[in-house]
Formats: sequence, structure tokens, C-alpha cells
Amino acid sequence: MKRNVFLVFLFMMSLTLFAQEQKMSASEIAAFKATVEKETKTIKSLKTDFIQYKHLDFLSKDIETSGKMYFKQPNLLNWQYTKPYQYSIVFKNSKVYINDQGNKSTVDAKSKMFEKINKLIVGSVSGNMFDDKEFSIAYFKNKDSYIAKLTPKTATIKKYINQVDLYFPMNDATVSQVKLIEPSGDFTRIVFKNKQLNVKVDDSFFTN
Amino acid sequence: MLKSMTRFLLISVLSVLFFSCKSYQVENAVKKELPASDYKNRYFSNPETDYVYKAHIEVYGNQLSGIFIAKRMNDTLHRVVFTTDFGNKLLDFELSENDFKVNYIMEDLDRKMIVNTLRDDFRLLLKTNHEVQEVFESEEYLIYKSADAKRFNYFYENKKDNKLIKLVNASKSKEKVIFGFESKNSTFAEHVTIQHKNIKLKIELNQISN
Repeated sequence: MKRNVFLVFLFMMSLTLFAQEQKMSASEIAAFKATVEKETKTIKSLKTDFIQYKHLDFLSKDIETSGKMYFKQPNLLNWQYTKPYQYSIVFKNSKVYINDQGNKSTVDAKSKMFEKINKLIVGSVSGNMFDDKEFSIAYFKNKDSYIAKLTPKTATIKKYINQVDLYFPMNDATVSQVKLIEPSGDFTRIVFKNKQLNVKVDDSFFTN
Repeated sequence: MLKSMTRFLLISVLSVLFFSCKSYQVENAVKKELPASDYKNRYFSNPETDYVYKAHIEVYGNQLSGIFIAKRMNDTLHRVVFTTDFGNKLLDFELSENDFKVNYIMEDLDRKMIVNTLRDDFRLLLKTNHEVQEVFESEEYLIYKSADAKRFNYFYENKKDNKLIKLVNASKSKEKVIFGFESKNSTFAEHVTIQHKNIKLKIELNQISN
């Protein structure tokens, strides 16, 4: 019996070891980047469900919101929360259209903040962030994912974000999970599910 | 001449003072014997609960939306965080009756007027124990009056089910801020409104069932 407990313990230990992250080698990085960049170029449209977990250290539970996201080249984006409330934000023709439970408003997207949000979201989901002058990137892998860790270079972004982790499953060249870590250590984790690439996404999805 | 002039001025100043400053009065209510020395606002008092709300803020015609989070950290201290719908923090305060700490505030919001207004609103919203000075009774409510620096707080408790329905922060003569509560069980408010009378600010909170 004692031996069995020991074996289970050992097995669990090895699992933790296995789950740990390792740095990727230079050749691995080159191959990984090439694959993602090639894949990204073929993306014309994207449709996915997402779950957002807001983690604040002082809360007993993460705040969970979820919804759908639609993207169409070159710059149409609809980020739509459906649970536990309805809220959607559409980026179109350098304007931002917000529908907050039926309350509609429009914001000029020339605002730097929205421009950055747009770029960050699209870049995060598609994985197209490698040329960005805004971030320096370190590459890691664990048992089932490649992980790109982006650290902002500019003071403007550093105020909001300490690090962005992008998770790419090994069998998929697009992002499955984004983790935005704030300077305080609190973070937002967004998990993408039921992702569909290059299916027909009608323009009506981008009216709010 | 000078004397009558002074008297005239004095009278006019005094009459302006007297007639324009009708003191803030609880309507149709009579004073009661003091039953307890403390009034407990239980809506944000449980340290085990994460208080999470969808927030709408209307300020001088501008609309803001986001998530309001509050937690009681210990007997006197509350933590308050306001984030956008995407989750990024706009502000993060720690406050008790006498202390106030800004853990984070977004640059655009970092104005003294904004910070002080929100600090005072949140402090009053979250504070649990209030020393009662006077109690009034109307047909519908028991009204507990408590002193708050130069102002007063009036807690309107429904006689029918002992729920706190309204909290009025008033100067000697005028309502300044009105808090409204809707609650199913008298310990958790599903819906909260904060309406300012002298600035154009309204905050609306709706519980997010997690």
C-alpha cells in the first residue's frame, strides 16, 4: 500500500516536471515563427468562442465572462460578450461601435488606446505579433504548447501591461489562449474555443 | 446713517440665510426613541463574498461601462476595483473610514476631483457600521440619521421587511448624494444606484451572477 502511494506521488511529480516550461532553441524558434507567419497569411476570416477569466489576487474566484469573436480581413472585428451580460464592440473603418445591452454609442478609433486594443486583439488571436516594435519576445514550450511571451518596450504600454503570454497548441499555428499580465500581477486570461478559420463571415456580423 | 446701513445689511444677510436654508428634513416622519447606537449596512459586509457588478457610469453626458468589484478585507478595510469589460484595470482603491490608498489609477482618470468623489462615494457605500444619532419613523420607513463630518447620512429601512432601500447623504440643508438599493434578501443588493445632486454623475451597478 505504502509503495502504491509512493508510486502515485512519483507519477504526479513527473507530471509537474512535464508541465514545466523550457526555453526553445534558436532553430525551434525559427521553425515555429515560419509556421505561424505562413498560417497567418492565409487567414481571411476567423470565428471563435471565447471565455475570459479575470484574476484578481484578492478575490476567491476569477470573474468569468464569455462570448464570440468575429474577424475579417483587413480590419473588421467584433468582440461580443454574451454571458453573463450582452456587450459588443465593433471595430470598423477607424470607428468603434459599442452596444451595451441595447445602449449604443460610437467612439472615434483614432484614439491611441483603441488602436492598440484592436491591434492587440487581432494580433493575439491570429498570432501575428512577431514584427511588432512594441514588444520583445521570448519563446518557451511545455508538453503541449509553444508559448510566446511578449514584454512591452514602450512606456505607454508598460503602464498597463507587464507581459502578454500567447499559447499556440503544437498541432495548431493559431493562438488558443492569451494571458495579459498587469504590473500588479493580476491578469486576464482568454481561452479560445471552437475556432473556425476562413469560413464565411457575413458583413452583417460587424454592425452593432 | 452708517449704523442703519449696517443693520439693514445684517438683516438682509440674515434673512437670506434663514429663508433660503430650509434644513434637509425627512418628509412625513416623526422622531422615535433611539433603539440602537449602530446602524449596520450589510450589503457589502461579508468578507467571504466577492461583490461583482456590471457598472454603468454617466458623467456629464459621457457613458462609461465596465466591471465593479468590491471585497471586505477585514473589519474596517474594503478593496475596490473598476475594470473595463476587457478586464484591464481602471482603478484600484483600498479604503477604510480613515485611510485611503490608491493601488492603481489610469492616467486619464487621475484627477483630484474624480478620485475624491469616487473615494467618498465608495467609502459611504461600503462602510458597514454607522453610529446613529436620531431615528425617525414614517408610514413606510425607519430612518436612521448618522453624522458624517460636516454632513449627515440618512438610512431608509423598509419597515415591511427591514431592507435598506435608500441612503441619503445630505448637508444641513440639501441632498448631495442618493444611494438606491434593490435587494432580495436584505444582505446582498442586486442593484445599486448612486446619483449625485450637485454634479452630473450617476453610477449604476447590476450584479453579475458568476
